[in-house]
Amino acid sequence: MREYAQPDEAATALTEIRRRQAGLINATAVPFWYWLVAAAAMIAIGVAADTRRGAVLAVVIPCVVAVVAILTAAMIFGVPGRARPRSRDLLGPRGALAIVGYVWLIVALTLGTAFGLRSAGSPAAATIGTVVGGVVLIVSGPMLSRWLRRTMLRNRAGTGR
Amino acid sequence: MSQARFDDLIHAPTRLGIVSLLAAAEWADFKFIRDELGLSDSSLSKQLATLEAAGYIDIRKSFAGKRPRTSATLTEQGRTAFLMHVEALQQIIGRSSASLARPSPRP
Repeated sequence: MREYAQPDEAATALTEIRRRQAGLINATAVPFWYWLVAAAAMIAIGVAADTRRGAVLAVVIPCVVAVVAILTAAMIFGVPGRARPRSRDLLGPRGALAIVGYVWLIVALTLGTAFGLRSAGSPAAATIGTVVGGVVLIVSGPMLSRWLRRTMLRNRAGTGR
Repeated sequence: MSQARFDDLIHAPTRLGIVSLLAAAEWADFKFIRDELGLSDSSLSKQLATLEAAGYIDIRKSFAGKRPRTSATLTEQGRTAFLMHVEALQQIIGRSSASLARPSPRP
């Protein structure tokens, strides 16, 4: 190996590498508003389900799905997402498992609460279920984001030693 | 662990910033890179052209609606060179730390 840099210059370069990668990771983090929108969408579906009217569900569900899909796309490809991080490399298998596990946890909690209340005869089972799921999403979503961000920062280049 | 190879092309400060950023990205928009690094359009274009000529990045031009959009992505060759450069930097620091930790011979 040819060596062109002094140790202090190498250290400065590694600091710069870490700083630039942290800049990208921070700029592409999931924003807080996303968790609010996702929670509101869940609750809208829950409220619509409790009306037990097919026409309401036929309007609400496609609208909510479209809004969430557009906002998700905007988050990934739009203004905050003018770059896409190499999530697969930066998150690793633990990060991917955490995201999948988190989604399943929220779905299980929401559906479990809703079906449990429905079997107990609650007239607003879906609304309460989705409110519970939505509140957990708003509280824990940003925590998941912070954990994913820390994981990506740990896995960026130049942090191996 | 990557093999170590110091890369002069990557080590230049502006290009080091660009390649570091792209190494953490699937792709990055021209404006994003420009804003993150605080460069002018012409300066960034010049550095991207140098990296593209070396085979380290791919530049893609597309349209977002009617707006032209330019994005850059690191090639496999560029990623390998970057990781080898990082390894070289870490080895330089590692050797320096080791020599500092070694007790000096007694007279």
